[in-house]
Amino acid sequence: MPTRTLSAPTRPAHDRAAASQLDVAGELVALLSDTTTEPRPDTQLEALTLAVAADLPVLLWGEPGIGKSAALTQLADSLDLPLTTVIASVHEPSDFSGLPIVGDDPAEQGVPMAPPDWAVRLVRAGRGLLFLDELSTAPPAVQAALLRLVLERRIGALRLPPGVRIVAAANPRSSAADGWELSPPLANRFVHLQWVHDHEVVVRGLGGTWPRATLPRLAPERLADAVGFARRAVCGLLSARPALVHRLPSGETRRGGAWPSPRSWEMTLRLIAFATAADASRDVLSLLVRGTVGDGPGLELLASLERMDLPDPEDLLADPAGADLPERGDLRQAVLDGVVAAVRRRPEKARWDAAWALLVRALETGAPDLVVVPATTLATLRQGDWDVPASIEALSGAVLLSRRAEQAAARATAATKAGR
Amino acid sequence: MLDRDKLFAARLQAALARPYLATALFALHTVESRQVPTMAVDRHWRCYVAPGFVDRTPVEELAGVWVHEVSHLLRDHHGRSDRVARERGLTGRAERLRMNIAADCEINDDVYGDGLVRPEGAVEPATLDLPEGELMEDYLRQFGLGPRTQDLAWLDCGSGADGLEREWDLGPDGGHGLSEQERDAVRFRVAQGITGRPGSASKGWRRWAEEAFHPPQPWRQLLGAALRSAVSGSGAGEDYTYGRPSRRSAGVPGAVLPSLRRRPPRVSVVVDTSGSVSDTELGTALLEVAAISRAVGGRRDLVTVLSCDAATRVVHPLCRAEGIVLLGGGGTDLRAGFAKALRSQPRPDVIVALTDGQTPWPSAPPPCRTVVGLFDRPGRRRWDEDDAEYVPDTPPAWARTVVIGSAAS
Repeated sequence: MPTRTLSAPTRPAHDRAAASQLDVAGELVALLSDTTTEPRPDTQLEALTLAVAADLPVLLWGEPGIGKSAALTQLADSLDLPLTTVIASVHEPSDFSGLPIVGDDPAEQGVPMAPPDWAVRLVRAGRGLLFLDELSTAPPAVQAALLRLVLERRIGALRLPPGVRIVAAANPRSSAADGWELSPPLANRFVHLQWVHDHEVVVRGLGGTWPRATLPRLAPERLADAVGFARRAVCGLLSARPALVHRLPSGETRRGGAWPSPRSWEMTLRLIAFATAADASRDVLSLLVRGTVGDGPGLELLASLERMDLPDPEDLLADPAGADLPERGDLRQAVLDGVVAAVRRRPEKARWDAAWALLVRALETGAPDLVVVPATTLATLRQGDWDVPASIEALSGAVLLSRRAEQAAARATAATKAGR
Repeated sequence: MLDRDKLFAARLQAALARPYLATALFALHTVESRQVPTMAVDRHWRCYVAPGFVDRTPVEELAGVWVHEVSHLLRDHHGRSDRVARERGLTGRAERLRMNIAADCEINDDVYGDGLVRPEGAVEPATLDLPEGELMEDYLRQFGLGPRTQDLAWLDCGSGADGLEREWDLGPDGGHGLSEQERDAVRFRVAQGITGRPGSASKGWRRWAEEAFHPPQPWRQLLGAALRSAVSGSGAGEDYTYGRPSRRSAGVPGAVLPSLRRRPPRVSVVVDTSGSVSDTELGTALLEVAAISRAVGGRRDLVTVLSCDAATRVVHPLCRAEGIVLLGGGGTDLRAGFAKALRSQPRPDVIVALTDGQTPWPSAPPPCRTVVGLFDRPGRRRWDEDDAEYVPDTPPAWARTVVIGSAAS
């Protein structure tokens, strides 16, 4: 058996033939790991970064082997935190709740719970990213101990300092070996992020180019605005939809996932503020919000955010000539409907005229069919002594269009009746 | 030149005929294109329109085409096509054409009528001798390209229908596209409009709205998850115990450590079929239970089956073949089955009841975990004929209920 170590790169070329098979293997491994990276937006990693920055407990749900650990390594890099990975399934409960050490006089002094070495190191460092992997394959008693660690940040007698951030990972229920699942109260404390692999990214990565995500940075000057925006968004939705405040999940399919409660709404508020301060995209926010309060309430919140971005009807009525209407048809119609509703609330001749001017502007800058319904409603708001404004001439195209649609509808009704 | 007035008059008529689709119709961004045969959509909610097609088609038919195209997007046909293509290994243009035809069948069987004209040449399931009311994935299994689909070869609803990129597509950066979040928001608004006022929408649209953001999950996985979590909960299966010291104790002098012990779970299956459950489904469910309890460490002799009624035809041969202990009939009532299962010694850790739900339930939770596999029959419920008001009790809250149905399998 040769005992000396060979260093492959420094060996001269003529010697290579004599090199051991292991050196050649080492060269091949080095060639294979020689990959490059390219910048690529990665919504799930951005969402994870924001949730970790917001110091909320994150639970990554994903099949084994799809790169959760790799993502955590990149996250630790970008947050400049040392990464500690703990594979939950190979530990015992006492590793997390502390090892009971029997002293000289247990009755008098009690039995101290000694923490494991990695926890001591983490506390001494004062900062770090703790990744609890394979939560779902650990036995129930280990999981119970781990949840205390995640939620109360305690390991035995130690308390993790605030600079330590925790992320846990679990396999989805359908593929977990022994059907681990969260009870609704526990599920409500987590931000649930579904971790899926992107087919294109994997193929390109195996080809030698892995993605490098540019992670969101919080802008210090936007913090106050972000908090105000988040409060407006959540309070606006919840005051209009009180039923969304608390809704326990029902049914087997939704067990163990995110659901709305005052606690998870508070988490949502924090996440909106972070996403706003980091100027994250709506797709990132969508992952975070739906992972905190669930799909239905999350989508309602996002839909109401979309409406919050729309121009205020009163501003539009004040300056119809300078109005900037949204490009997208459904949003444009929502704005026009809002304008007509505003006129209905406070009907005055000047406002009515301004609304007509807006409709003309909408007709000139976009699809004509959007204008028809608001125009019909606006016409019914006319009061006895109001003269029809001259600008209404410009809407004759829309009137024709509407008549054409009505005729087609009549033909269609006749045809479908005859067909039965 | 594209006759925009005609095109938009048609969209207006479509929106008036189907008010719940108005948001989606107006969210589409129209693009004039001479490469498209008729009208086509892409996954970013752009609608490509051929000027010639608009010229030669009456307004009321165009309205039908608008609804058809937006239906592809609302029902996520491109995403579902990609998934099917990956799962079943379907590659190539011909397969994508098949997906487009299957998706058209799913849409066309119930969107027209009631003020909306069926466009000339629209494919319906009947065109291919297929049953109505199924999903694209199901249709895809039932037909191949051949003489019957010859006339459909020109059919092209774009990448929004079958996921295959077209040469006219503007792509993700082409402007006026909707982001994924915006697409979800539009679909959510439409679904909300339908569930809010279900009276005006057709049955197909109501089903879509209910499932849009909560697709039915495969019952096998759900039953498996419920059963696994029942047998591995405290009191059964594998867990730590301080009853015996851990082997690691030797390495940590002075510490008391728990050790890992396994106690295999006992599972009792109570089968209440009352004759209305299909043999195949009952058989699969029973085998599933046996397989899962074996997987979590149970042995065959720890699974027992109690048949409550005339289930002999399936249950007896299955139990014989699988080597499962079969206890005698438990009576006509599920409560008797529960009582008998709990009387057996030693007591089971988990009771799995396979039932169609037409039964009274025990008034108090049994002293062990309970999983109910419910055979749901929306079409043919077995109500009491003498008493029209009779509605059977739903499974109690203390049981984990999994709906077993062929539709979601």
